[in-house]
Amino acid sequence: MKEKALPLKEKSPDPHHNSYARTVFGFWLFLLSDFVLFGVLFACFAVLRENKFGGPGALDLFNLDIAFSQSLLLLCCSFFAGLGGVAIHRKNKIQTVIWFSILFFVGLAFVILELKDLSRLIALGADWTKSGFLSAFYTVVGTHILHVILGLMWIPVLLWGVIKLGIAHEEITRGTCLRLFWQFLNIVWIFIFAFVYFAERG
Amino acid sequence: MIDRNHGWNVSVKPVVLGFILSFFFTVALYRIADRHHLMGTTFAITIFSIAMVQTLIQLVFFMQVGMESKPRWVSISLLFAILVIIIVIGGSIWIMNNLNYNMMPMDSMPTHGAF
Repeated sequence: MKEKALPLKEKSPDPHHNSYARTVFGFWLFLLSDFVLFGVLFACFAVLRENKFGGPGALDLFNLDIAFSQSLLLLCCSFFAGLGGVAIHRKNKIQTVIWFSILFFVGLAFVILELKDLSRLIALGADWTKSGFLSAFYTVVGTHILHVILGLMWIPVLLWGVIKLGIAHEEITRGTCLRLFWQFLNIVWIFIFAFVYFAERG
Repeated sequence: MIDRNHGWNVSVKPVVLGFILSFFFTVALYRIADRHHLMGTTFAITIFSIAMVQTLIQLVFFMQVGMESKPRWVSISLLFAILVIIIVIGGSIWIMNNLNYNMMPMDSMPTHGAF
């Protein structure tokens, strides 16, 4: 079995490229399924946004300045992830470590800001048990921040490989997936910013 | 995204361009919501179109969709996902609005105000 598998692997014209293309495309399909997941949650929010059950609404609760700062932070995340992706393709170890480290701290700032804002809402008495609107809000935002935290945990894992093993073909594939993941998170946030935080405005 | 020569992947230019354009549109979104310039349907349509344009910019400049070579599986799968999302969101809103419309007399019932 082993002796048969080996020559097959060597015959493949460009094993690196094939595995790169296949892995990145597979990750892209995962991201699309995640888009559909968030689409379903947005549909829930659109349906439940009027059901306030006498509780507070979007205009009473949401602080647009904080949401705007969060948008800018996540946009910076997208930008630094893009730069990190370029650096890892150029096999530039130092730049890769620098950009992805900056990405980590900007992402961390986003998470802290978001958790502070959510605890402010809960302190106001607007938790997820109050109304259908608030349940839908916490589900959308909570799923997003869970994704962000996963993305944060992924960065040290990638950098560990880059520092320890250098930038091999596998690292380029992983770095590209991580870059796509953060850029996906930013696109989801655009819709949270525009449709969840702006609800009842205008 | 899956390009044969890795040319697009090693270029900083689209990343910087995408960042500047997205920054502009993010600030525009914030200003429109904060200053209350627009009302009702105009507001909704403006916000929706800005969000869509920004998504398109990020898909092309950051995620590099549509830059792959010929069997365009990335773009095709994206279009399919968009179709599913449109059916789910549009269908949900349609059905629930219809339901609310048919439930209308409940609103005028005297017990409603008790909550």
